[in-house]
Amino acid sequence: MRVADILKWLLFAWTAVVIVSAFFYVRPAEGFIGESSRIVFFHVPMAWIAVLAFLVSCITSVMYLKRRDPKDDIRASVSAGLGLLFAVLATTTGAVFARIMWNSYWNWDPRQTSITILLLIYAAYLALRGAIDDPERRASLSAVYAILAFVTVPFLVFVVPRIYWSLHPDTIINTRGSNEFDSRYTQVLMASLVGFTGLYIWLYTIGCRIEAIRQRRRQEVL
Amino acid sequence: MSRLLVEALAVAAKDLRTEFRTRVALNALGLFALTVLAAVSYTVGPYRITAEDRPFLLAVLLWIVIFFAALAGLDRSFVKEEESHTAPLLRLAASPTAVWLGKLGFNLVLIYFLMAILVPLYCILMGYKIQLVGGFALILVSGGYALAVITTIVAAIIARALTRGALFSVLSLPLLLPLLIFLIQGTAGAADGTAETVTSTLRAVLSMGGIMTIVSAMLFPVVWAD
Repeated sequence: MRVADILKWLLFAWTAVVIVSAFFYVRPAEGFIGESSRIVFFHVPMAWIAVLAFLVSCITSVMYLKRRDPKDDIRASVSAGLGLLFAVLATTTGAVFARIMWNSYWNWDPRQTSITILLLIYAAYLALRGAIDDPERRASLSAVYAILAFVTVPFLVFVVPRIYWSLHPDTIINTRGSNEFDSRYTQVLMASLVGFTGLYIWLYTIGCRIEAIRQRRRQEVL
Repeated sequence: MSRLLVEALAVAAKDLRTEFRTRVALNALGLFALTVLAAVSYTVGPYRITAEDRPFLLAVLLWIVIFFAALAGLDRSFVKEEESHTAPLLRLAASPTAVWLGKLGFNLVLIYFLMAILVPLYCILMGYKIQLVGGFALILVSGGYALAVITTIVAAIIARALTRGALFSVLSLPLLLPLLIFLIQGTAGAADGTAETVTSTLRAVLSMGGIMTIVSAMLFPVVWAD
């Protein structure tokens, strides 16, 4: 069995344990309706992966501009696509939580506004990629846009939610109401973050390989 | 440094001269703004919004008019170079940084010109009373600058792509939305006299404008050369 196969099975087992722990190991947090607080184990890692993917997209874009290696362009576009996917998932899980807590899927809370703008920015990045025929020009112009897009991320993730009043809970949820995580929450949340990061790395590797094959085939046809 | 400034001023002066010859961007910006202002003034008018809601809702309308008018004309600076095939000559005549500075200067002139006409008219027609006039002026100046910086680099990108017109709005608006949120909040603060909101808005807008200036200056040579 290859190392990659072992890692895949390990990731499967890890994620399975995280899911079971999220529902059976921790108790629902106080101050939240029903079992809704458990969504934190999936919602927070999805938001984290979205930001991580956008960061990777920005870094690989900078690397493309420095080295002009087409593989860096593939890495940037695959990571942006994954970031978009995880941002959609984070938005959806957040909306489900909002429906349970505040009886409304969407209320333009600053954090909902921020993630919507992020989704629009990276959707625009993919639109730009589709609007340029020449591969080299597409790679360099979209690298520039990816860097510009990432510059706005700190404003959307840190500034907008802090300037305006938000219903969104702090990044801290616990059963005692103090400014610390319940230890079981911390354990499961950290394990979930590791699991989701592993999932992202796996999807990213597959995405890069598929895109490289697709580009090679396109060149062969031409 | 002085050579850079001379080149940048020459690029901006050339753009202004050609613009005043054809007035494509000026007409697009000005007529769009005036038409929307007329529509807003006719449908909403000065008295349809309650006194309590006025500072915020009128700030929303003002910045939407400014942003969409800007999107109607600020892409011209680069698109016209590509359409008239003068970009290669400009590449030979001036350094990339000088071209970027010159185009930014041209877009700044356009946006401040638009604001100078539109904002007083808007305040008169909509009966928009501003309590902190100094803070409002600072928000307009800093907001106009950040708007020009972001649209200049996006205009440079879309000038090298297909379907330029549609793409300019698609690429610019998401990048401009955080700025729009800050500016609306700050303008509402200036209108109802909340100095704290004005200060926090200015901080956010200036930092965003500053970071975008640095990143644009670093990335523009790549966009211009490729």
